[in-house]
Amino acid sequence: MTVSRPSSDTSHLYDGKTVRSSAPSRKKAAGQIGSGSDIPTDAIPQVEIPSFIESLLGGPLVPKTKFLPPDKMVQNLQLGVYGILVALALLTYMISPAEGTMWYMFTGSLTIATVFQLILIVGATGTGFWGTFQRDGRFLLVSNLLFILAILRFASSKVTLSNDVLQLQDNPFMLSALVVVYAVMLIMYFELTNGVLRYSMLDTSIRTNEVYVMNPKKIVGKYHRSLLINPIIATILATIVLSANTILPWFVGILSQDTALRMEESVELISVYGVALGTFFVFCVVGGLFALNLPTHLQNYREKRAE
Amino acid sequence: MWSRKSAMLGSLAIAMYLLGLTLRNSQLVTIAVVIFVFLTWAALFGGHADVAATGRRADEWSGEEGVALSSVSAMRKLSSARIFEDGELNITLRMQNHSSLPKILEVRDRVPEVMRIKDGANYILMELGPRRETFIEYTVECPLRGFYSVGPVAVRIQDPFGLFHKEKELHVYNDFLVFPKMEDLKETFVKSRVPKIFTGAVNIRQPGPGSEFYSLREYFEGDSFRAINWSAYARSGKLMVNERERDAVSDIIIIVDSRSVAETGPVSRNALVYSTRAAASLAKYFLGRRDSVGVIVYGEEVVSVDRDTGKKQLYVILTKLAGAVARGNIPLQVVVNRILPHINKGSPIIFLSNLEDDPTIVNALRDFRARDFDVTVLTPSSLEFEFDARRIDRTGYEVMKTERDVLISELRSLGVNIMDWEPDMLLSTALAGARGF
Repeated sequence: MTVSRPSSDTSHLYDGKTVRSSAPSRKKAAGQIGSGSDIPTDAIPQVEIPSFIESLLGGPLVPKTKFLPPDKMVQNLQLGVYGILVALALLTYMISPAEGTMWYMFTGSLTIATVFQLILIVGATGTGFWGTFQRDGRFLLVSNLLFILAILRFASSKVTLSNDVLQLQDNPFMLSALVVVYAVMLIMYFELTNGVLRYSMLDTSIRTNEVYVMNPKKIVGKYHRSLLINPIIATILATIVLSANTILPWFVGILSQDTALRMEESVELISVYGVALGTFFVFCVVGGLFALNLPTHLQNYREKRAE
Repeated sequence: MWSRKSAMLGSLAIAMYLLGLTLRNSQLVTIAVVIFVFLTWAALFGGHADVAATGRRADEWSGEEGVALSSVSAMRKLSSARIFEDGELNITLRMQNHSSLPKILEVRDRVPEVMRIKDGANYILMELGPRRETFIEYTVECPLRGFYSVGPVAVRIQDPFGLFHKEKELHVYNDFLVFPKMEDLKETFVKSRVPKIFTGAVNIRQPGPGSEFYSLREYFEGDSFRAINWSAYARSGKLMVNERERDAVSDIIIIVDSRSVAETGPVSRNALVYSTRAAASLAKYFLGRRDSVGVIVYGEEVVSVDRDTGKKQLYVILTKLAGAVARGNIPLQVVVNRILPHINKGSPIIFLSNLEDDPTIVNALRDFRARDFDVTVLTPSSLEFEFDARRIDRTGYEVMKTERDVLISELRSLGVNIMDWEPDMLLSTALAGARGF
């Protein structure tokens, strides 16, 4: 009644007319009454449209509705996150020595840089633990960012380890495998923390009757299978893509052994630019396949084959 | 279609890749490659869904449905096409998978926002086997009158990590009508003073054929012997006969104010909601009494239902009331000028309005009274609704309340039976109050 809308002011209707029933203030008040048929804003049900960050995390950054106590599925995911988090913390510490970090560049002191790097990793692990335990997206986001920050180093092309307890420094293949495993774990950490929030929301929605799930075992089973299969496939494919410096010489070796040997020993090919170049070509091919709408054709093929 | 999550991961991978090249950091390049591989695998082979990337509903539809959803179809059945406010509607959604591949689908059947899901769910995660169908049943509660439509059905399929999804809207719609709810009235205290030629159930305070006792008079030749009051004859020594009050069908005119100002207040508690419910209750009562009832709803235009009797008339009236939308600002005087020539002199007129924002109300009702119409005004107070919803402060409320009381007093002085209908007051109480009982 007190909504002020200049366009819907009807006070002019009273001009030159005797409003017998009203005190003078009524004319003004009536003129200001909203005449739109819109639903008042406080009567419109709130529609939850997730923000960009919420989409990334799989749930609300600031939970408005409290999750119900976690069910078995969520508890298992939380345990999975804890396990991955410990492994990820150790691997991060191993593959990101203080040399080359921003802290080292700023301070020039290896000790201070090491302390900073350790604080960063411990912080990432701690916030990850707490965020997973509390199912709070804010802590998980901080944890993700800290892990990414920990890996940012102005390093040389060569992978160096801060603590080489497994004697991997002399084995380039194992070294790159370690980095691949680290990368897969980082992605799985992102995904599992995301899953904790997603399934907490889903579980809460199911228990509050907002969502009905038919045959939940199959659906959850599919997710579990993907959690196992996808990292394995990602590891294999990434290893193949990153082994361009050994695969390319092998192909070249069919034609010329000398050229293959030169390629294998070439600094350019084993450098980060060489790896990047190989990766670039691989993904150009993948991009081309997407441009040709391969996923749709693949789905078409699967549908037709099933007919 | 890329989800926000996959877009973010993709952006992160590109950033890491470029940063890796800039910083000559092979770890960053490796992480970027792994993310690319992860995304590529999900896009190529993750054809089946489990949970939304956000865990929320498929609110944003882009129309990119893909092949996987082309073989999914839906049908819907409603338990009724017409219900009353606060009634329940059972909806059965039939989902069919014509493909030979099983699909894990997220299905959301869109219901109007004002509806409440009472039982079951309109948002389902399901595995639909090859060439199978499934039935989803849920019940919605309909708290507000109106024309509504259920649909479309939003279907989504996505990979287990919610990275890529395909969505489709199945354009299956079912319309239904929610009538305003009605209060059972025992008595309205509204009677016509004008007889009509057809006998009916309403006494009109004139002697004639009817059932209620009216008075005694002397016997005249031709009077029925059955009408002789023998007790009175014994007392007076003269033949006296009972006269009965004439029954007649009344013309009842109900005017509903549906101008935009009538919707002032919360959605479920405003003058229009109260007016339509009152009009429905009154129409049912009068039609049950075999009266002839006509309804005029005015707002943006004047919509009228011609006077008629019977159950069919009730449905016609209810349909018009269900469709009344708060719009426009036609003054009451326009309505009165238009209907005056068409209604019988002396017919009871019931006017339902919050009396806001119309300077012609006093003159219009005076016109009715001048022609000896029996006018009853029930005025649901928008002020109370607004004050209850804390949209106006105490001072504003008091000032406007005083102004409203002045207007009501002025109308009462014209001989209008008027009642300031407070939100928690029953219709029958408000009517009794208006008629001075």
